[in-house]
Amino acid sequence: MKKLISIFVLLVSFAFTSNSYSKTEIHWWYGNSGFLGDVIIEIANRFNESQDEYMVIPTGKGSYEDNMAATIAAFRAGDQPHYSQVYDAGAAIMVAQVKNGVVIGFEEMAEKYGIDVDADNYIPGIKNFYADGDGKMIGVPFNSSTCLMYANMDILNEVGIEEVPKTYEEFEGMAQKILDAGYIPLLQSHSPWIWTENFFSRHNLLMTDGNNGYDAVPTKTLFAETEAFVYHWTKVKEWYEKGYYGYKGRAWGDNQAPFTNGEAAFWFGSAASFGGMKGVLPNFTTNPIPYWDSVTGGKEYPTFIGGAANWILNGHTEEEYKGLAKFIEFMGSPEMDLYYHNMTGYAAVTKGGIELAETINFYRASPYHKAVGDQLGLEGSTIPGGYRAGNWPQIREVIYENVEPMLNGDITVEKALSNMDKGAAKLLKQFAKTL
Amino acid sequence: MKKVQFKSNYSQYFFLAPQLLILLIFLYWPIIQTFKDAFTMQDAFGFGSQFAGFDNFLFIFSDPSYFTAFKFTIIYSFVITLITGSIGLLLAVQANKVMHGKSAYKTLLIWPYAIAPAVVGVMANYFFSERYGLLHHLFNNLWGFNWYENVFDAYIYVIIAGSWKQISANFIFFLAGLQAIQKTVIEASIIDCKSNIRRFWTITFPLLMPTTFFLIIINITYAFFDTFGIIDTTTIGAPGSETKTLVYKAYIDGFKGLDLGSAGAQSIMMMIIVLVITIFQFRYIEGKIHYN
Repeated sequence: MKKLISIFVLLVSFAFTSNSYSKTEIHWWYGNSGFLGDVIIEIANRFNESQDEYMVIPTGKGSYEDNMAATIAAFRAGDQPHYSQVYDAGAAIMVAQVKNGVVIGFEEMAEKYGIDVDADNYIPGIKNFYADGDGKMIGVPFNSSTCLMYANMDILNEVGIEEVPKTYEEFEGMAQKILDAGYIPLLQSHSPWIWTENFFSRHNLLMTDGNNGYDAVPTKTLFAETEAFVYHWTKVKEWYEKGYYGYKGRAWGDNQAPFTNGEAAFWFGSAASFGGMKGVLPNFTTNPIPYWDSVTGGKEYPTFIGGAANWILNGHTEEEYKGLAKFIEFMGSPEMDLYYHNMTGYAAVTKGGIELAETINFYRASPYHKAVGDQLGLEGSTIPGGYRAGNWPQIREVIYENVEPMLNGDITVEKALSNMDKGAAKLLKQFAKTL
Repeated sequence: MKKVQFKSNYSQYFFLAPQLLILLIFLYWPIIQTFKDAFTMQDAFGFGSQFAGFDNFLFIFSDPSYFTAFKFTIIYSFVITLITGSIGLLLAVQANKVMHGKSAYKTLLIWPYAIAPAVVGVMANYFFSERYGLLHHLFNNLWGFNWYENVFDAYIYVIIAGSWKQISANFIFFLAGLQAIQKTVIEASIIDCKSNIRRFWTITFPLLMPTTFFLIIINITYAFFDTFGIIDTTTIGAPGSETKTLVYKAYIDGFKGLDLGSAGAQSIMMMIIVLVITIFQFRYIEGKIHYN
């Protein structure tokens, strides 16, 4: 009998616990891990504590690619989350899915469920990157980064370099000095993103036809026919042979590790990399990525937005979307935007967040955070602020596949770049067929 | 002997049903889906699906990295089969001779077999890490090892990572095979021939042929399919696409690149390759083997 009573008590208590969880659940899938993943969980916790009606449940799915694949598989099985983080290279695929009813655009959502954050409150460059052809914002800007140059000031002081290089010409001039002191002058963590996509944006050059895909579906990339790009990789190869540039494979972390350990003077990475470096490397600075003075004639142009946005997926109840609208509103508030900017190093994405940062003199206290906004905020570009090219994840793979044989001398720079063009053209053609 | 007869005509179907259902769901249905993917063109979410004929196959055949993957898979399975088979055999012969502590040797040699390929890859990662890898330092001192850009060095990396665990599998089966050889045969041969080595090649090894044949098939399938986790945790196919196996390439194109049509076509090509290898083996090699 005692047993029966205790079972009964247990069952009743279960019933009550599940009752207290009867909040509307909103699932948010993401593709960050480690520290960045922890911050995402913290954001969800803060939202859940701020009100009682809704509960956001964040689920990490691994990398950006993993999360995108998981989201697609879930959608095909009719089991998709409400909100999913998809990276820059997948933006073209996601924007194209509005017409199929997979994705609900931000502006449609705001109109229907009343989000108190206007699309115009997001910084124009970031807004446009995730907008459709008519300029309507589809994805909700979230972790927006760009590539930056990290410099180890202790090494520079040791070899007697006073200022970090602004241009590649300046870098080239100081590389031998750094090498002679026993350090690796330069490392970078992502050849397709930093030295391909953002090479073009930094130098105000078009990367694909169809105006980077904004005016027409692109059919080819302009790698081999862009003189400046050929020149850049010819130089990179020369640097690699001289030891000015060290290649540590494709893994992001393997290229970052020597810098974090104080063995390299410069490293190109993401604005969001600094969180992991702070407290490990004693004396480093974040700076805009260099450019070729000879290409731009001394002018600087902004780089593309990197990172990811959150996308609203179709197929859920009205009540759940109301909750999601509240959550988007919460994340778009100046306080949360600045919190995320401060914690991770990603750019502040709302005008409110930037204003708040200025009012509290945030950048004086933390100069690390300034470079990303400075570089993205540059003006004078005549090219679009992004690229709309499908199958881009595979095109990045093609770029990697040709960089390595180019560096080890199996193929020439010209051959590597024309191989990239050929591979990319096939993939773009393949994508165009599915539109 | 009298055949057992069931009274009902249907009861056998009843007992077969669970097994058939599992086969249907986990084998035949995915195969049908793969064929569907291979012959259609669709976007990542499955929209805009249209019949594509052989377009996806033409697409992979015009892709130079597909042939690189093909070449690597062939080299990889050949080398892995050779290395794991010969080292496994050597260890089994030696362990079979041991008098004291036999089971301790056996247990230690079988252990690696229990480790998942992805874990093996992560371990190999440490050994070949430029920063703290023992093997990396050893090879680097010998000839300037750099798997980031040197194809040969990358081969060494994935071959060592891929062989280690599979040596254990070969060891177990060879040991079992050795122990199944009748003592009388061995004793008779000792009277006829003094040379240990000659006795091994003329008596023991031919008697091990069924095991060897079995292991060749197992090793090839292993190198083809199970090394996925090892590649993904070591070289991720670099440099270029020189260390991508066919399975790994299909995964990258299908799940990272979100091109299901191309991945489907590659899966079908793989099916054909395995089919050809299997037919060849059973046709031409098995005929030369004598089972007792």
